[in-house]
Amino acid sequence: MLQIFLNGYSAISIEFLTEMPRKRMTEGGIYPAILGTIYLIVGSMGVAVPLGVLSAIYLNEYAQPGKTKWLIEMAINNLAGTPSVVFGLFGLAMFVKYMGFGASLLASALTLALMVLPIIIRTSQEALITVPEEYRYASLALGVTKWQTIRQVVLPAAIPGMITGAILGVGRVAGETAPILLTGAAYFLPRLPDSIYSQFMALPYHLYVIATAGTNISQTRPIQYGTALVLLAIVLSVNMIAVSIRRHYRKKLRN
Amino acid sequence: MSGQNNGKQTEIEVRGLNLWYGNNHALHNISIDIPKNSVTALIGPSGCGKSTFLRCLNRMNDLVKNCRIEGNVRIDDKDIYSKEVDVVDLRKRVGMVFQKPNPFPMSIRDNIAYGPKIHGFSKNEIDSIIEDALRSGALWDEVADRLSTSALNLSGGQQQRLCIARTLAVKPEVILFDEPCSALDPISTSKIEELIMELKKKYTIVIVTHNMQQAARISDNTAFFLTGDLIEYGKTDQIFENPKMKPTEDYITGRFG
Repeated sequence: MLQIFLNGYSAISIEFLTEMPRKRMTEGGIYPAILGTIYLIVGSMGVAVPLGVLSAIYLNEYAQPGKTKWLIEMAINNLAGTPSVVFGLFGLAMFVKYMGFGASLLASALTLALMVLPIIIRTSQEALITVPEEYRYASLALGVTKWQTIRQVVLPAAIPGMITGAILGVGRVAGETAPILLTGAAYFLPRLPDSIYSQFMALPYHLYVIATAGTNISQTRPIQYGTALVLLAIVLSVNMIAVSIRRHYRKKLRN
Repeated sequence: MSGQNNGKQTEIEVRGLNLWYGNNHALHNISIDIPKNSVTALIGPSGCGKSTFLRCLNRMNDLVKNCRIEGNVRIDDKDIYSKEVDVVDLRKRVGMVFQKPNPFPMSIRDNIAYGPKIHGFSKNEIDSIIEDALRSGALWDEVADRLSTSALNLSGGQQQRLCIARTLAVKPEVILFDEPCSALDPISTSKIEELIMELKKKYTIVIVTHNMQQAARISDNTAFFLTGDLIEYGKTDQIFENPKMKPTEDYITGRFG
């Protein structure tokens, strides 16, 4: 971390953050890659969090213990351990080819969403389990429906834990290369993505490219460190925002 | 064994109630009449079915898997297990206070407002409901100046009175108490007991208690349960001073339990 910071710090400048790469990516900025990564985070979390939380609610609050639930949880556990490149191949087959989205931001975001979904579901389930059963009883005994009880009492108490899951998810989404490589990330693009069907650049892949396949690896070393630093900074700041939201909710629960 | 009650109007009428948890036959053919505006205590050793019976009265047993119920429970002359009955509506009319105080992790005000808000009362109505409920719950004087602080900061006894007030806020007819004082100190306990005696003027109260002195102090009628059977039911004075059944006498004199 320290090394990345020390080496990357000097490469960071306004131009580096806001300009297009130039001269076969040996000069200029990484703006499109930053933007691409942010789009990916927003897009994939926007799909994975609601889906994951609703799945966790179904599994914990509604599903009867039995074969079906066992099968679903088994599948989730297995998916959580599946290598990301397999998700990438699935995304390529499903979203890029079969559903015809092409190599695009949409296909990549959906692929990443699928990849983090198991983590989101698992951590949301954990969060729901820690909500004391007494809250549910108290609410139901007041003549409140089950769904209202979940919305008004259970979910607010579980949100801090769910945010923890989302934080883990953001880290993985921002850092993964294999899935986006197969579904839409571009080696180099001279322009920003103009729709969800566009190809895009993203920081981890860009880093890989300039560190291994670039035109002049030793010359671009400062840019490599700079890119790594920016990637870390994005993940860190998203996490900080999430942590402060979590703290806000915890405080609200206590006070 | 059936229990009849003369005098006051009957609020809850139970006939031939049987309950199974899976294969475990937990309640055997219970019949009992619980009079309006009175306190009825359910006593008996642990595992005798008294709490299970209490939970039949607001259908909280519906939440237990593999729980099967036969028989007839009528509250205010309506069969609460008939298909037309909306459980949610039933629980509005039959409130419940639990063993462990369980306020929501919200402010005192929000705890009381929770039920009425969901049941669609307006903001103005809710404000007056909050004050009424806290006054009836004998808590208003202690918390009036800090309604927006967390309910979790209250003492155990205050929390339990808050839970009672929260139940009162949805305007029930019957209130079920499931060992409401077992987690409280003697002073908090006596406050809750006074409160229960006060509440019976407006509500029908059924209380499960492990504490026989408590049953003797606050109840009008007492039912003694043993291993899923209702052994004896009658006026509290009679049960404690002149029990008709041998097991009742043994339990009350402390020979087991």
